[in-house]
Amino acid sequence: MSSDSSSSSSVSDGFADPNSDPKLIDEQFDSLTLNEPVQLEPNRRENGNEIADGSLNPERSNIVAEDDGRLRVEDQEIFGEEELPSPSSSGYAGGRGSSSATSPSRMGEASEINDDEIQELRNDGSLGVISDSHASSWVPGKRHVDEDDASISWRKRKKHFFILSNSGKPIYSRYGDEHKLAGFSATLQAIISYVENGGDRVKLVKAGKHQVVFLVKGPIYLVCISCTEEPFESLKGQLELIYGQLILILTKSINRCFEKNPKFDMTPLLGGTDAVFSSLIHLFSWNPSTFLHAYTCLPLAYATRQAAGAILQDVADSGVLFAILMCKHKVISLVGAQKASLHPDDMLLLSNFVLSSESFRTSESFSPICLPRYNPMAFLYAYVHFLDVNTYVMLLTTSSDAFYHLKECRIRIETVLLKSNVLSEVQRSMIDGGMRVEDLPVDPLSRSGPSPHLGKQSLASDSPERPREPCIGLGGPAGLWHFIYRSIYLDQYVSSEFSPPFNSLRQQKRLYRAYQRLYASMHDKGIGPHKTQFRRDANYVLLCWVTPDFEFYAAFDPLADKALAIKTCNRVCEWVKDVENEIFLQGASPFSW
Amino acid sequence: MATTGNKNINAKLVLLGDVGAGKSSLVLRFVKGQFVEFQESTIGAAFFSQTVAINDATVKFEIWDTAGQERYHSLAPMYYRGAAAAIIVYDITNQASFERAKKWVQELQSQGNPNMVTALAGNKADLLDERKVVSEATSTYAQENGLFFMETSAKTASNVNDIFYEIAKRLPRVQPAQNPAGMVLTDRPAERTASASCCS
Repeated sequence: MSSDSSSSSSVSDGFADPNSDPKLIDEQFDSLTLNEPVQLEPNRRENGNEIADGSLNPERSNIVAEDDGRLRVEDQEIFGEEELPSPSSSGYAGGRGSSSATSPSRMGEASEINDDEIQELRNDGSLGVISDSHASSWVPGKRHVDEDDASISWRKRKKHFFILSNSGKPIYSRYGDEHKLAGFSATLQAIISYVENGGDRVKLVKAGKHQVVFLVKGPIYLVCISCTEEPFESLKGQLELIYGQLILILTKSINRCFEKNPKFDMTPLLGGTDAVFSSLIHLFSWNPSTFLHAYTCLPLAYATRQAAGAILQDVADSGVLFAILMCKHKVISLVGAQKASLHPDDMLLLSNFVLSSESFRTSESFSPICLPRYNPMAFLYAYVHFLDVNTYVMLLTTSSDAFYHLKECRIRIETVLLKSNVLSEVQRSMIDGGMRVEDLPVDPLSRSGPSPHLGKQSLASDSPERPREPCIGLGGPAGLWHFIYRSIYLDQYVSSEFSPPFNSLRQQKRLYRAYQRLYASMHDKGIGPHKTQFRRDANYVLLCWVTPDFEFYAAFDPLADKALAIKTCNRVCEWVKDVENEIFLQGASPFSW
Repeated sequence: MATTGNKNINAKLVLLGDVGAGKSSLVLRFVKGQFVEFQESTIGAAFFSQTVAINDATVKFEIWDTAGQERYHSLAPMYYRGAAAAIIVYDITNQASFERAKKWVQELQSQGNPNMVTALAGNKADLLDERKVVSEATSTYAQENGLFFMETSAKTASNVNDIFYEIAKRLPRVQPAQNPAGMVLTDRPAERTASASCCS
């Protein structure tokens, strides 16, 4: 490849990356054009003028030792993470040189169609959205229905999802018209049954950079075809969620239809649910609940959440199975009847179902739904009502006659929430947002007394004299860019707000993909499970720490110092513990799964 | 069942009909005066209430706007059980939706409340050029089956309020005098819950 310096103009994203050395960029593109994931050259960044220190080996993983509940560094090299796909390969590192289609070195990829995902990311990315408002800017619904497997555009899409029956009848396809894909579905079915006839099961087929993941659920087959380089376990988890969404709509008793008639056509039964599935697939890219299997709460003062919980408990005692109050995808409070517990995956699927169907917003609704983890065979009845544009109550019951009772319950809940200002607190929290890496207290132990919002020292942060540790460019102390803390006991996680450099949706999505990969590698049954991981690549330093109580994931500036990064992680964990009453729902019936 | 007390009548009304016939659009036009060109599919059933004044009485409609999707058909009795009135909606540009409407008429005749006021609404009457269902034949069908029939347009608001007012006017006449206390409690609760799964 010629080191055409014009390509440097294509690096224009928000990174605080001073290196404009065209050679370096070309090297990045070099790796982009390769078809297969490759190991990064260790000296890949040697041209970056800021890296004079040879110790910054981009692919180095170090052992970080754990001691007395604190992390500390040990100066040993590496444990095997070779199985992780290199972050240099396409789709992942592509974001760094943003709209680089003009670059001659990207010609290998230039023919790639900008599927929706990419276009929408570009459109929105330019807005510099920091909050999760992209959830609302994204419009659910099926796209490209005019395509089929003969269309070049259809073939170029990066991630396909299919549901089909074991007789090969199409049930759902992310792109294109299911009916036109009958031939393609039959092919998928043939692959599955060919392997099954040999007394085996097909799980994964790799073809170049494409992975084909299969999941068989009785008479229903689910297939993902992806070139996004997500780990197999992640894609399989996504297929499981799609199946769960199907069960939420129809229950598992759908299997009986196939027993009666193997050629049963299921598509009419799913009429009008395209938006539910497409919205779930969208969540795979930006909602960590989809791979963490945990839910997240809207930050609220302890007393506010208690007030909401008390009235929900009151309602649950009157014969409601689950009473749930949510704001978008975040939980305000939830209560289950005695011994009834709600799995985080069910909550994700239920909130996705409600949020993706415009119908729930027009009035009160009463609809049968099934919670696949609670009881996949039976319908529950859900009373759903939006209290304001983002906040909604869901009351679940086993009784199909309970509508008027649930309506009364909702009126009581709404009255109490209004009286105790919960709804206005919810709106304030939506505006204030959650934890920000910039607000990480310098020394959490020195703080005294309860603080107004998430331990923010608002006065101190306004003062220029505020003592700060040296930061590398953006983000919080020690180059901390983002973190996720998942409490294992509570089945809840908290994630910091996106702040620079994660300005664009594309960068946010890439970070989540990196976390997802990290999660999969930490939980890998073959080489794991691991306790700690420290990875440095061209985009970030990723640090993960798993204890019996929590899992912690953090992204740092790629130039962050390891010892400082580890120290910072300890501080974040202390910060989380300090404000746990505000960010987590405490005392909810433990999820015994 | 319609319930009365000092000329204030509460009446449960259910809308039934094929997907896309315009049930939600009719209700939203009647309750909120709104119309959107691309109304999203209803999930399960949506509940609305609206009060109308007829002569010296007021009728408070408790309206169940049911989903037309096939997977909800087996759940329809949950919504029409005990209803004082029903509007069966079809799309005049879609013959299949009229056939589906006839099936709903049959089902209500065999399963529903015998005193139910039933209206047949041929919706999308503004789309005259695309008409597939002839109104004369429908009138005859409606007369034979004891329904009252109107062609409506949620888009232009034509006949929308009229159909609800007409129902309201007919309600007091079928008011069962022997049941002044109102609500008839369901005396056969078990038989319907058994068929609650989508496709049994």
